[in-house]
Amino acid sequence: MIASVPSATVLGVDGRPVTVEVHVTTGIPGYTVVGLPDTACRESRDRIRAAFQSSGLTWPMKRITVNLAPSGVRKGGPGLDLPIAVALLVAAGELALELIAGTAFVGELGLDGQLRRVAGMVSLVGALAARSVVVPSVCAAEAVLVGRHCVRSAPSLRAVIDALRGDEPWQDLPPAADDVPTPAGDLADVRGQRFARWAVEVAAAGGHHLLLTGPPGAGKTLLARRLVGLLPLLSGDDALEATRVHSAAGLELPPGGLVRRPPLRAPHHGASPVSLIGGGSAWLRPGEISLAHHGVLFLDELGEFPVAVLDALRQPLEEGVVRVCRAKASVTLPARFLLVAAMNPCPCGEGGRPGSCRCSDAARARYGRRLSGPLLDRFDLRVPVRRPDVAALLRGPAAESTADVAPRVAAVRGLAAERGVRCNAELPATHLDRVAALTPAAWRVLEHKLRTGSLSARGLHRVRRVARTLADLTGALAVVDEEHVCGALELRAELDALEAVS
Amino acid sequence: MTGDRPPEWAYAAALAGLPYMAWDKLAGLLADGRPSAAWRRVAAGGAGQPWRHAAAATSVAEVEAAHRRAGVAVHLAGDAAVPAALAADHEAPAVLFVRGDAGAASAGPMVGIVGTRRCTGYGRDVARQLGRELSSAGVGLVSGLALGIDGAAHEGALAAGAAPPVAVVGSGLDVVYPRRHAGLWERVAAAGALLSEAPAAARPEPWRFPARNRLIAALADVVVVVESHAAGGSMHTVRAAAERSVTVMAVPGPVRSAASMGTNRLLADGCPPVCDTGDVLVALALERAGAPPPADGRRQPEAEDAAVLELLGWEAVSIDELLAGTDLTPGRLSVALTRLEHDGWARGRAGWWERVGP
Repeated sequence: MIASVPSATVLGVDGRPVTVEVHVTTGIPGYTVVGLPDTACRESRDRIRAAFQSSGLTWPMKRITVNLAPSGVRKGGPGLDLPIAVALLVAAGELALELIAGTAFVGELGLDGQLRRVAGMVSLVGALAARSVVVPSVCAAEAVLVGRHCVRSAPSLRAVIDALRGDEPWQDLPPAADDVPTPAGDLADVRGQRFARWAVEVAAAGGHHLLLTGPPGAGKTLLARRLVGLLPLLSGDDALEATRVHSAAGLELPPGGLVRRPPLRAPHHGASPVSLIGGGSAWLRPGEISLAHHGVLFLDELGEFPVAVLDALRQPLEEGVVRVCRAKASVTLPARFLLVAAMNPCPCGEGGRPGSCRCSDAARARYGRRLSGPLLDRFDLRVPVRRPDVAALLRGPAAESTADVAPRVAAVRGLAAERGVRCNAELPATHLDRVAALTPAAWRVLEHKLRTGSLSARGLHRVRRVARTLADLTGALAVVDEEHVCGALELRAELDALEAVS
Repeated sequence: MTGDRPPEWAYAAALAGLPYMAWDKLAGLLADGRPSAAWRRVAAGGAGQPWRHAAAATSVAEVEAAHRRAGVAVHLAGDAAVPAALAADHEAPAVLFVRGDAGAASAGPMVGIVGTRRCTGYGRDVARQLGRELSSAGVGLVSGLALGIDGAAHEGALAAGAAPPVAVVGSGLDVVYPRRHAGLWERVAAAGALLSEAPAAARPEPWRFPARNRLIAALADVVVVVESHAAGGSMHTVRAAAERSVTVMAVPGPVRSAASMGTNRLLADGCPPVCDTGDVLVALALERAGAPPPADGRRQPEAEDAAVLELLGWEAVSIDELLAGTDLTPGRLSVALTRLEHDGWARGRAGWWERVGP
């Protein structure tokens, strides 16, 4: 007899519907899975068989064929355990067909019959056309986020069978939690360093990529981590999109299930290109840049990252998505992030202050070559950070806290939304004259910089966007003045201190 | 065939081009007899196998052509064209390669200005000012055309356009090193002279530079160290100058500046300080020549800008330090700094700001 049950698998961050068909017939007892299953699917036999015994169900001693349709698409992950088990029960005549009509199933089985969490539940449920869906209790909160289905949850295979037969009620869904975790640290922790704090505020407000350079121990990492606390909470679709990515990568989700706090991802510089960009031959897992979607990607020790990895960032930085292509599949993963990087100005770390570097010219040149010009060009803000004064560290006046600065950031983001973009960094060059008109004094400053060759045409647009953010922050809504342009130029320091030696 | 025989100087240049041919070894080879004889002896293996192989791979005619192409004159010890100060030196070069007018090196009093490649804006300013004012006063400049202090001094001398500058370099005269100084290199060759002990096409190998420094010391009547790290290459020149009883002077710098460690140590050891060009002229026993320094033509800064200029030191300060000393917002501060930079009072680089001299 044949039974079929709808389910789904995940590729990248997108769910793909899968129909699980089970055929049970007489013959030599056996169990075959066809339809491009991966190892986890193939191993389902042993898990399901043990789960059957643990749940007090009889394993049909017959010839069992499991087909995963469409059979040309590769299926991955253990989330198909539950649909196979249910279809098997129906095909073996243990469960009436009408009890599962219009219901999809997703879940991994333990040997004891318990249902386990499946990565990518948001994407999986989103791909299902069925009216109702049965999921493990542990990921019911994720499944509910999609909002289109009647979600039913159960802790074990036994509970699923009992609830389907009507012997027991379905488990209650968890209450929707709406508390947002507080950020890890407060901006007030950064003492002194007014300029760097200002740069962090500007980066958060305008969505400008930020590069911090400075000697070891100057607080670059601290600044980057405080930046994420300044970003406004994610709303609606943005939050769901971020949640989809986190769910697909199997990350633990916050209590409410929805990722509302912009994520911070800080991969180590040993990261491989695939772990950063996304991919992998079988499963096309989202990489760190996708996990940082709508949040901050922090690359500490930028100069230590392999050149190939850094250059791979350029396309996602430009387009907000990354297209990962493999021989068997290609997926588009979301990757719209604020890039914050930190590096030493040179190998010895003292290179910022003129005349104090201890590196050889060759070592400096080698270090400089590690960063491609086009990547450096993407940083609207390039800010030197120096070690804070001891006095400021010990007795300095308490600086503004995250709670003081975050409303200003939110206000500037609101202004950008009125201009039709997410943040000022995304303002198209063609709109700059309209939304970021310059005063004559401001033009004169830029003109001088262009004439002396210290500003390129592309740099001009970037400076004007940052100046727009600075004007927004000071409440100068109409025009961009000299003060904002000079500030934007100061925030865009040249990196190569060696060039100064001529 | 005798008409096609390369001239003696070509043999000398070919000898100088053998691997690790330091000036003293070359002098030893050329001590008894003509360069062509020495060449035949080396080619026959009389000076060791490595040089025999290298000589076998060298065509003297090609060496001659290369020097003619590059416009490089080759002078042997004893030639009249070798500057007197070098000919008389106890470590005189055996062969001297010249572009430009070698007479520039013996036209009048010469001052060597040397210093670190990793200089501060202060050092660069002072080197440029000394180069300019000494040249105006008719004092020739000799330096090494390196990055940093050397290049700045040459730029100053060229800007004055009076006494011809001389550069002693550590590579072949057709191998521009550092590359960034290609323009400066040509201007010095046109206005004065480029000297080297390395034949055309010789790479700037590290061992050539200490030898180059002794020639700077030998040519100069006074050596001024503008900025030097504690163990910088300028100390070679200082030692070479001390051996030759050439006066060494040093420009004082901030005691906390790494780039002034070496010069401040020299001052502590008794070198006379250079506070302005007059000090150097006095050491040369020259009258304080020329007009008093020209009036500062820069527009005087006003109000906010003047207050910010007060905060700026001659040592580079970061923008954070400036912000800590003022009530201005970062935006207002950057306006003031931009104006000061525009009017020539300050220079900003990679977030560090320093004052600029007149």
